[in-house]
Amino acid sequence: MKKSLITVVLLASLILVVFANGVLAQDGPIKIGAVNPLGDVTGAQSTNAMELAVEEINAEGGLLGREVELIVIDSELRPEKGASAIERLATSDEVDFFVGGMASGVHMAQVPVLKRYEKITIWAGAASHQVENAVGADADWYFHLHPWDYQQGASYGYGWKDIAEQNPDIEIDKFFLAYEEGAFGTDSYQSYVEYFEDAQAGEGPYAGLMEGLEGVSFKSAATGGGDYRAMLRQAIDYDPDIFVWAGYDADAIPMLAQARELGFQPPLYVGAPPGWPANFGDSPLAENVVLYGMWAPSLNEVSPIAKHFWDGYIEMHGHEPATYFAPLGYTNIHFLAEGIKHAGTIEKEALIEALREIEYDTALGTTLSISPSRVISNQGFSEQKILQWQDGTQHVIWPFDVSTSEIVYPYDF
Amino acid sequence: MTNNQKWIRILLFFLTVFVIIIGLWEPHALIFGLQRGSLYALIALPLALLLGIMDILNLAHGEFLTVGLYISYLLFVNLGVDPLVSAIPVFFLLVIIGAIIYQLAIKRVLGAGHLNQLLLTFGISMVLIEIVKIIWTTRPRNVYVPYASSAVTFGDFRIGSYEFLYVILAVAVFLLLRLFLKKTRLGQSIYAVGQNPKGAEIVGINVKFVYFFVFCLSIGLLGIFAAVMLPRISIFPLTGNPFSLKSFALVAMAGLGNIGGIMIAGVTLGIGEAVIQAIPGYAGWSDLIFFGVLIIVIMAKNLQGAK
Repeated sequence: MKKSLITVVLLASLILVVFANGVLAQDGPIKIGAVNPLGDVTGAQSTNAMELAVEEINAEGGLLGREVELIVIDSELRPEKGASAIERLATSDEVDFFVGGMASGVHMAQVPVLKRYEKITIWAGAASHQVENAVGADADWYFHLHPWDYQQGASYGYGWKDIAEQNPDIEIDKFFLAYEEGAFGTDSYQSYVEYFEDAQAGEGPYAGLMEGLEGVSFKSAATGGGDYRAMLRQAIDYDPDIFVWAGYDADAIPMLAQARELGFQPPLYVGAPPGWPANFGDSPLAENVVLYGMWAPSLNEVSPIAKHFWDGYIEMHGHEPATYFAPLGYTNIHFLAEGIKHAGTIEKEALIEALREIEYDTALGTTLSISPSRVISNQGFSEQKILQWQDGTQHVIWPFDVSTSEIVYPYDF
Repeated sequence: MTNNQKWIRILLFFLTVFVIIIGLWEPHALIFGLQRGSLYALIALPLALLLGIMDILNLAHGEFLTVGLYISYLLFVNLGVDPLVSAIPVFFLLVIIGAIIYQLAIKRVLGAGHLNQLLLTFGISMVLIEIVKIIWTTRPRNVYVPYASSAVTFGDFRIGSYEFLYVILAVAVFLLLRLFLKKTRLGQSIYAVGQNPKGAEIVGINVKFVYFFVFCLSIGLLGIFAAVMLPRISIFPLTGNPFSLKSFALVAMAGLGNIGGIMIAGVTLGIGEAVIQAIPGYAGWSDLIFFGVLIIVIMAKNLQGAK
């Protein structure tokens, strides 16, 4: 009798412990694991923006009555660090979701680890189509926000067509692409060559727009170069309607200075680096330079959510966001939160369905909704914006529904 | 005429022919190469001094240049000091930084073998890079002064004028250094220490002071060159790194202690680089010039040693 009583008490205790753990797990925070390169301005500001989003969500009572916890690990822009960060977040921190990050090279190393755990992942950056191929068509748990490289190139074609249609003075036939000789630049050039071939066949986003293309490589200052004069002289000889350079932030001002020195003044001078140098807008050389990007501070004039993000970021961190990865990081967290609210659960299948259904107005001035891209089924944004530096401010030129200024044409120094 | 002199004459003859052909084919490439080559020679000079006199291979060479660039940038942004004017204070500030690092670290590995010196200077390089990253992050910074984009025009021929400053500075620095080494008592001491440190010590030359002076002077010179090149480049924590590599190539080509050879090597490689860059579609091959030369020189020296 005594023995069976003890057994009953032990069993009851065990059940209580299991039950209590279950309740505690339910009441514990929803954990979001982020991997960003904290030493780089893109990763640092994206993380700052994620923290802001989490603070806002928690201030409104969290999600499903639970607090949201953000756990951030630095990828140091190194593939092996990025991959081990995912491993640690999954095993040691036991996060519910993965968010991040940037740099395709780092993300390529993370994809196999993400596939091992198959947790819902919403990735902000890493735009190479090679990442998309690595993720594959079956990963229904994987959501990608940044437009893929081929989507970006296509959107510029549509953008320039719209701009040329609206402004009859603008003639865009001859393209000159200056590209850095690494993977980023040569991939860009390859895309342009494909667009040109399609355009010649009367197809694709550049059909009726791109009648000539010349591409010349240069060695980026970021990799030990910085003398662009030989390339610029070839551009002068070609006399393009639009000059586009695909390099890094370190190339921006020296290339402009050398263009001025050689008297090279194309009607449209376009920069397409992943980031811009500090205080680029303050340089007199920046005036009327066109750039491609996802966001500009001037969006505050036309988008209340962009303004809300801007004010909140400055209040929390004491400085202005300088890269579009800041509003993208903010969007990353809020989009997940909207999905959870819509699903009413963090259960995987229901949440995937919810994330596919919602439409979320973002701080990037664009509404985010999920649709399939070439390979994956959950792609977020599909187009970039065409911006222009005017009086030290980045203005949105296209899409017209969020434009903050008309294009200044031709480029003139 | 010795065998060496004969070779030098043959080399100079081919160099002259090469320059004339390039000048006729692509005069811009010739001028770009002359300008950039002079800069490469200037930056390689302190490395050659340290190697030739102190027998130290300074892997932190490029990072001292980077520090000089950031100091000059700070002076421009915060105090409005023109980069060319800032060359003077940056020189003295880098001399002080050089003196501190020499006293704390470098003097302890003099004569301790090349491996220890390499490890130490590599460590210094890492520390400097990380300090720069912490203070200024990895975002590139630039200084714009209108005169750095000025040009001279002769009919249809237009060329930037600022980088001629590199050529003038290179000629001036090399001449002054030559005069200093040949004509002053300290210069002759430095020369003697570079030739035979033990012999120099025996005849009463303060070898330790000479080493200290040469190290500080080398780092200080990098400060001057950093300030002069600031308006033409982007600065970020790894800016100096490629200049280190090119400097090693130049020193290898010119030969240890051959200060004059550095100038010839710099201009030759600069023109070679500019020529490759001027060929459409082949710009990416320009690094081949520097590192191809480095490989050939090392192989030739090994073959010579084997004989």
